Formats: sequence, C-alpha cells, structure tokens
Amino acid sequence: MPNSIVSIRDVVKEYSLGKVVVPALRGVSLEVERGEFISIAGPSGSGKTTLLNLIGCVDTATRGTVEVAGKNTSALSERQLTQLRLDTLGFIFQSFNLVAVLTVFQNVELPLLLQNKLGSGERKKRVMELLTAVGIDTHAQHRPSELSGGQRQRVAIARALVTEPQIVLADEPTANLDSATGEAIIDLMKDLNQKKGITFIFSTHDHRVMKHADSVVRLADGKIIGKESADAAVQAALTSAAGRSPVGAH
Amino acid sequence: MTFLIAFRSLLQHKRRTFVLGAAVAFVTVVMLTLLGIAEGMNRTLIESSTTLMSGHVNVAGFYKVTAGQAAPVVTHYKQVVEVIRQAVPELKYIAQRGRGWAKITSDGGTNKMFGLTGIDVKNEKGLAAVLKIKEGKLEDLAKPGSIMLFEDQARDLEVKVGDALTIQAPTPRGVNNTLDVTVVAIANNMGMMSQFSSFINEASLRQLYQLNDETTGALMIYMGTTDLVQLKKVEDKLREALGKSGYQILEEDPRAFFFKFENVTREAWTGQKLDITNWRDEVNFVSWTVDLMNALAFFLAFVFLSVVGIGIMIVMWISIRERTREIGTLRAIGMQRGRVMRMFLAEGFLLGVLSTTAGALFGLVLAVVINGADVTLPQGFQFILMSDHLKVVPTVAWTLVAVVFITAVITGISLLPSFIAARLKPVTAMQHVG
Ligand SMILES: Nc1ncnc2c1ncn2[C@@H]1O[C@H](COP(=O)(O)OP(=O)(O)OP(=O)(O)O)[C@@H](O)[C@H]1O
Ligand SMILES: [Mg+2]
Repeated sequence: MPNSIVSIRDVVKEYSLGKVVVPALRGVSLEVERGEFISIAGPSGSGKTTLLNLIGCVDTATRGTVEVAGKNTSALSERQLTQLRLDTLGFIFQSFNLVAVLTVFQNVELPLLLQNKLGSGERKKRVMELLTAVGIDTHAQHRPSELSGGQRQRVAIARALVTEPQIVLADEPTANLDSATGEAIIDLMKDLNQKKGITFIFSTHDHRVMKHADSVVRLADGKIIGKESADAAVQAALTSAAGRSPVGAH
Repeated sequence: MTFLIAFRSLLQHKRRTFVLGAAVAFVTVVMLTLLGIAEGMNRTLIESSTTLMSGHVNVAGFYKVTAGQAAPVVTHYKQVVEVIRQAVPELKYIAQRGRGWAKITSDGGTNKMFGLTGIDVKNEKGLAAVLKIKEGKLEDLAKPGSIMLFEDQARDLEVKVGDALTIQAPTPRGVNNTLDVTVVAIANNMGMMSQFSSFINEASLRQLYQLNDETTGALMIYMGTTDLVQLKKVEDKLREALGKSGYQILEEDPRAFFFKFENVTREAWTGQKLDITNWRDEVNFVSWTVDLMNALAFFLAFVFLSVVGIGIMIVMWISIRERTREIGTLRAIGMQRGRVMRMFLAEGFLLGVLSTTAGALFGLVLAVVINGADVTLPQGFQFILMSDHLKVVPTVAWTLVAVVFITAVITGISLLPSFIAARLKPVTAMQHVG
C-alpha cells in the first residue's frame, strides 16, 4: 500500500520473564495512512505501549513485519534505527521526559543539533517558531522544572516536531495532566496535524481525549478488535468501563 | 551540547561533584608536591654536582703502570684539551681538577676512604658561592698541604680546623705514597654527596700522586646547559674525535669515577684510557634518590587514584541509574550510542580537568607556603633530599604532566560507566514511575 506510512503485518511480540513468556501482541496487523490523527485505545495491559514502541523503532517484533516510512525495521541496524528515529519520528512521552539541565530552548534545539543539518541562525528561527506555535515562547530560557505539567508537554511537542518528522508518536500524552490541560494539548496536536499534515499516533485511556481522533484502533489482550470512528469508540469505551473498570486510567 | 549537558549535570549534583572534585584535587596536590620536592632535589643535585665534582661533561680517565694499579689521571692533558676544543667549539670553558680516592687517617687513629678534588681555590668562584663554610676559611686552601672537609667527615675523623690528617694513596708508579695535611675549613653538609668528596690544594694532590705538570685528574667541560639529551650528543662527539686521535676510551659506564677502580684494576690493560661522562653519571650514586622521589609521586598518585577512581565509578553508576530515563529519552529521540558514551566521558573529563586544575593551583600555593615557612628537615631527610630545608620547586612541565596524567586516569575510569550508559535501551524512556 503506497500511501501507508506505517504498515504492520501479523506482528507478535513476546516478553520473556525468566522462563515465562508473556505475549503482549498476538498477531496484529495495521495500516496507518499519511496525515492520520489516530488513537490507540484499550484497557491496561492490552498492548498499547508495546505497539507504539514497535512503531517507534525502540523495540523489535518477535515475529511479523513492521514497516515505518517504507523501511522494514527488522532489517535495520541499531545505528540505522537511531537515525530513522531522529529523522522520521517524533516522540511525546507520558512523563514529558525533558532534559532537566537544559533550558526549554535547548531542549527543543537538541534534535536539530543531533541532525547537524542547520546552522545556528536557522535552528534558532525554527525553535522559536515552534515555541510560539505551542504558546511557550516566553519561557524559552526557563528550565523544565520551572514549568507546569501542561507547559512541559507543550515543550515536548515542540521538541517532537522540530525536525519536521513524518510521524509523531505519543504514549498517553495526557495521562499526567488534568483533563482540561489534556484536552488543550490534544487540540494543539490536532491543530499541528491539520496545518502540517504530520501523522499522529497516540494512545490513551481517556475517552475525552479519544474523541478528538480521526479514528480509534481498539486493542484488547494483544489483539486489534476494531478500527472505528471516534464516536463509536467512545461509546464502546464507556460500555466497557461500566463493566470492567479499567485500571490505571489518569 | 553534549558537553553542556555533561557540565550542567555535574553542577546539578553540587555536593557529589564537590566531594569527588576535592578528592581528585587532593591527589593532584600530593603528586605535584612530591614532584616539586623531587625537582628541588634535582636542582640541588645539578648545582652541587656541577660545582663540587663534575663539569657538564667530563673527560677523565685512568693510567695504569701495572694491570692491578690505577690512578685517576689524564696524562698529557693539554693535547687532549686541543682535541676537545676542536670537536666541541661551542663549549663555554674547560676547568681542570685533580682527582683522588684515598684513605685518610687522623692523629687519633680513625680513618675513612673518600674522594679528593684538587683545586686552585683562586680560580673557583662558583665553589665559594655554593659551599657554606662552618669553620675556618676556604681561601686557606691556597696554602700547600691544606684540606677542606665536610661536617660529617670531620665528625667521623674527630678533627677540627687546625688538626692534622694523613692521606694515603697509590701513585701511578705503583707505590703507596702518603701526605700530611692540615684541615683549614669545614663546610656544612651537602646531602649525600658530602660523604664522598673533599677539597685539597691542587699542588698537594700532585705531590701525593707524584704527577708532573702534564697530568691532571679530570677535564671538566662546561656547556652552559645541563640538559642530558644535548650533553649525550656532546659526549658522542668527544668519543668519536678522541678515538680518531688515537686515544683509548673506556666503555660507557654511568657511575662516579671512584666506583670504577675495581673494574679498571681487574682488566689487563696498562697505560692511559680516557673516560667520558656527564654530570649525572658522576652523581649516579645519589641521583637514584631523585628517581625514587619521582616514582613515589607517581606511585602515591596511582594508589590514591585507585581509591578515588572506585568512588568515581560508584557515583557515576548511581548517576546513570538516576538518569536512566533521560538517557533512554536521548536514545529514543535519535542520539547515537557513541554520542551518549562521549557525553558521559565528557563528564569524567570535565571533572578531571577542573579538579586537577584546582589542585594544581592549590599545589602552587602550598609550594609557596612551604618554601616560605623555611621548614628544617630532620637529619635523615637532609641526607636524602640533599638540602637542610624542605624545598618544593613546581615546574610547568611537571604540572602539565600531573594534570594530564590524572585527567586521563579519571576519564579512563569513566569509560566503563559511560559504556554501560551507552548500552541502555531507548525503551527505558517509556518506563515511568506511577
Ligand atoms: N518489559 C516487559 N517485560 C515483560 N512484560 C511486559 C513488558 N512490557 C509489557 N509487558 C506486558 O505486556 C503486556 C502489554 O503491555 P503494554 O505496556 O503494552 O500495555 P498497555 O496497553 O500500554 O498498558 P497500560 O495502559 O497500563 O499502559 C502486559 O501484559 C504487560 O505486562
Ligand atoms: Mg502503556
């Protein structure tokens, strides 16, 4: 499929804990189109993080193929995977994961320095543009510890976008934020998705967050049980919440 | 940026960094102080050896009438001087001094073997500046039959200024000759060297060995440098030139002349052989103390560094455990392993550079304080350190060596933790608490 930016076929991921083999994904296939704003939903332990890690090239599948931006990740070396992450992917983490000893500006500039493509003037311009876009330009010289959770996640979004990646991955980006801030963050991501056409794949427990997605991939017990519209997914989540009461949600 | 992260991370843990840095600085101070003491010894050694018993380069030798009897002389020395001047035109000046190794007996019956240097005291300005005369007058060595002793020699022989001594030595003709002399001066000890040498009126020394005007003990060549690499070249030139002029030359033997009698008298040859040495050879019997001091400096630095190194390793280990998520994040967003490794090495390197530099500054201050405090050394140390006062001479070269050496060791130590950090998986970025 030429238009797929992520293509996952029959992927199995098993973790071995000593002699015990824990299956995290049991035969998952998924195509993600360019420019999609897609959410991965499912109860705790269903394999959301595992799936995002495979797409993010920070982990490898036990069986099956994972293609990211046209590249089969199992055929790449550690070095090439790192380069792929740097050039093609952006990461937004649940706990923000900013470098504490660097300023907001330096945190956002870091991926550009790793790429080593732009001069300092261009870097500065790009960083400030993004900080303005996420509404944090006035705090450029602050340290992350001086910011609120929502502000830190904005910085993290700017860092994820600064290299103009094709895909941005976010594992529960709103889990450490209150719901109003969480929604604002999702709105911001959505806005950037529409303006820049970047593919966003994020996981969440929260149906208020889920409802902003173009479509929702629902996982249960390591299997995809459906890809549907946001409204249908929210409905399903509410039903399952009444019955099962998900663990670990916000 | 990796350097910036390394630097700021060090600052982030001020107390930890300070404790480690202070330990590294302490090692630097110890090492530099010991090296400074060794350098002080070395300077004293150079100064006293080149005034008391050696030129920068010497042409001396032995004359044997029979195989078993050797006199430390150069016969027909004026011809030798000609060859030297032609081979080494850049020399500053040549001094000639008589040499001897003799048994000296006091009226009380005690005796001692030590070296005699025959001097013309009027031409020995340098000597007057270096020797500290305790009793009597150095100028009195102008009188025939006079001798100057060092303090310890006078004590062992139980003599004072004005007392008589009998000197006994074998002449080149193979008979033992004796000479009566009077002690005219007693000088303060100059470390170990004062055990082995004394000064005697030159004419009297000639008389003792029954030498003519054509014969001297050693030609001491002053080159205006004490640098051994340069002096070695001069020695080689002299060996070649003198060899070509038909002189027999002894094999290189880096020892003082009075240690060579045993070998020389065991060999079968007779007649004249020349011996070419430098100042360091002539004080070889004491210069090992300088080497020992230098070795001690490196050894202690090594021992302390091992302890400090283990501390640094543990602390870096802890720091990497604490920063697992940060490292994972950097890996996830696209930092290559090598760069992570360099980042942690940079931390070790920065810690090393900053604290050794601080240590070097402290070391300098300490050197100034020690030299200013005029610390008198106990007897045993005076003997080994060749000075009655503790003297620390810091040099740029040794300071650089210490700073580079310790920094390299600290950076080396951080290699293992850095490697471990670089192996951390990017997935660790996703692991979160709570
Ligand atoms: N490193 C690991 N070692 C062993 N088992 C693991 C590991 N990571 C995940 N698992 C297991 O794999 C399964 C899927 O985990 P995963 O973290 O992908 O779920 P999740 O949907 O992200 O859950 P949550 O909503 O709690 O974040 C779970 O059973 C989990 O226990
Ligand atoms: Mg998860």
